[in-house]
Amino acid sequence: MTDLITMPVRASKAGAARLKQRHAAERRFRFYGLFAICFGLSCIGILFFTIISGGYSTFSQTVVTIDINLERDLIDAKNISDGDFRKIVQNSLYGLFPEVTGRRDKRKLANLVSPAAEYQARDYAVANPHHIGKTISIQVPTSDDMDQFSKGVIRADLPESERRVSDLEIVWFNGLKEQGRIETIFNRTFFKSGDSRDPELAGILGAALGSFYTLLVTFLLSFPIGVASAIYLEEFAPKNRLTQLIEININNLAAVPSIVFGLLGLAVFLNFFGLPRSAPLVGGMVLALMTLPTIIIAGRAALKSVPPSIRQAAIGLGASPMQTLTHHTLPLAMPGMMTGTILGMAQALGETAPLLMIGMVAFIVDIPAGITDPATVMPVQIYLWSDSPERAFIERTSGAIMVLLAFLITMNALAVNLRKKFEQKW
Amino acid sequence: MTSPFVLTVVAVVLAGGLLLQKSARRILVGWLPGSRTFRQETNRRRKLTERFAIYVLIACSSVAILTTVGIILSLVFESVRFFALIPVTDFLFGLKWSPQTALRTDQVAATGLFGMIPLFAGTLLITLIAMLIAAPIGLLAAIYMSEYASRAARDIIKPCLEILAGIPTVVYGFFAALTVAPFFRNIGDVNGIVISSESALAAGLVMGIMIIPFVSSLSEDVISAVPQSLREGSYGMGATQSETIKQVILPAALPGIIGALLLATSRAIGETMIDVMAAGLSANLTANPFAAVTTVTVQIVTLLVGDQEFDSAKTLAAFALGLVLFFITLVLNVIALVVVNKYREHYD
Repeated sequence: MTDLITMPVRASKAGAARLKQRHAAERRFRFYGLFAICFGLSCIGILFFTIISGGYSTFSQTVVTIDINLERDLIDAKNISDGDFRKIVQNSLYGLFPEVTGRRDKRKLANLVSPAAEYQARDYAVANPHHIGKTISIQVPTSDDMDQFSKGVIRADLPESERRVSDLEIVWFNGLKEQGRIETIFNRTFFKSGDSRDPELAGILGAALGSFYTLLVTFLLSFPIGVASAIYLEEFAPKNRLTQLIEININNLAAVPSIVFGLLGLAVFLNFFGLPRSAPLVGGMVLALMTLPTIIIAGRAALKSVPPSIRQAAIGLGASPMQTLTHHTLPLAMPGMMTGTILGMAQALGETAPLLMIGMVAFIVDIPAGITDPATVMPVQIYLWSDSPERAFIERTSGAIMVLLAFLITMNALAVNLRKKFEQKW
Repeated sequence: MTSPFVLTVVAVVLAGGLLLQKSARRILVGWLPGSRTFRQETNRRRKLTERFAIYVLIACSSVAILTTVGIILSLVFESVRFFALIPVTDFLFGLKWSPQTALRTDQVAATGLFGMIPLFAGTLLITLIAMLIAAPIGLLAAIYMSEYASRAARDIIKPCLEILAGIPTVVYGFFAALTVAPFFRNIGDVNGIVISSESALAAGLVMGIMIIPFVSSLSEDVISAVPQSLREGSYGMGATQSETIKQVILPAALPGIIGALLLATSRAIGETMIDVMAAGLSANLTANPFAAVTTVTVQIVTLLVGDQEFDSAKTLAAFALGLVLFFITLVLNVIALVVVNKYREHYD
């Protein structure tokens, strides 16, 4: 028989106070943890809010409808594209505000619209030569400052000396608005043109294509090499010093600062091999070396998760080691490898520093057509725009960041989905 | 221009071809009607192909080694050329950094000053600020996730925090330069403190936010790996959960946590874009977080961006800085890996 021992509950005053204190400490500690997580999450919130609130207006553009007179005096019918379209656009604006006479004011008036107006007028005239001599109305973008004013970024309630738009320009703008000439349309230019010195003409297509070519090269190099290394290290490598060295080396390589890879690219690919500067080819090669460790580590983990029984069964049926690999292990490990590769590609897409080293930071208007054309990539474009003094470029920067983040989120979602879909518990 | 590259490619292809030739002949010979049976021949061919495939795999794995060798060689070679122009001691212990190389030889201050101490101090200042943010926040978040949060909550919180690690650094740089820095400057204006618009504080704070997930994810892994028996033993002695964490779990997980912090530090030291966009270019030797400082990475970028002749001390200095950066991060990583591995052996 065991006696039921009842412990007297000690309820001394000091003990109760101590217990209370300890529980308070417990609650406090728990709160610290919660606070830390809330801090982290709110950082994400603030970051996204800042970017989106500053960038969503990139996707719209203020345009003004002007009536231009394609005067025969200013256009040579035989050589239409050499016509003085700047004057034609200017005349049309002067016609809208006949009371403006001063030279200075006239120049200001002409600057209400973007320099794109004259090109648009020219393109129109070239496409419709039979309209020469007639008056037509076309929709042209306003200048970047007027666009920012229209979007409320430049505020009218500030004193005139503190804003980039003068009172006179505001009067003109409101005049145009009353005539129903001002409209806000979807900013197509942003998606279909390259870089420009004028914010209203600048787009991300050049940078996006540059990123695409760069990633293409990165993928073509790092995926096969990474998968092959993972296979060798996991399936075939003897456990010796050399293998160990390669393993340590890969782990270290994963933590080398990215800018060091840029230095490697500059010294080896550009100066030693003489490859072209600013080309997606070199950028892709540098990024491939950088993402290689990520892919190898993910690939090895994927191979490790394939149970040995599958290999043994294949070998037992007479398959050679290589057949076992290509027919059984590799297909089973492929989803994991693809996930790792996509994450590596996402990392490469967001990388800036090593590409600055190899000259992908130039001002490039042309849209690259291949992997050896000079190009820039999205993150570098963001860096370049964020450095520009024009107010409208800040908005463009946020817009470009939104596009970049959209790509990254898509890639990550793809990787997560892939993992979920093919995840197999053995 | 491209000829050395073409030559190398041709050489590699030729070498590969020569290696192949031997096995190719064997494969071809294997097909010839001879004394061997068909089965023997297939086996032979199969073995040869297998061996060839293994060589291809080995070649691919050696790319990682070659990358490291390439990094070390290129950094060391260019640094040696740099140290032929500027004495090593001037570089390592000099207190002034103004890398202006003269256009004419008779110009005043013709060589420029290449003392890396101010850059190093700037890097350390920003890293310190970043770690002061990331270490407590990341560690507390890790503790909360592994010890307090329910599984469902953790499965949501962890990927959310890891979003922070997936955002490109250029986005953080933009955020630091255009949102955080002006915010601090305005606070400084209101309180009568001069906060530079390119302050170490803004860069450090944003970098700290960026490396929170590095600390939290790695620490969470090590904290979760502490055996349950330790927790139960502590509860059995009447300790509360926080007492258990502070007095049992954290000491047990300490090596892993230190490893995580070292990796995060190395990440912060090597970070480039946030510094380029939010820290300054002026090499101030200061411990004032409100002042503008410059970092090793910023100077590498400034020295190398744009068209430069490749032989000047100015461009070569970037490689010397790169060598220092590579060395520091390598040491930190190796220590971190060793510490973490030691710890793992302890419990597995």
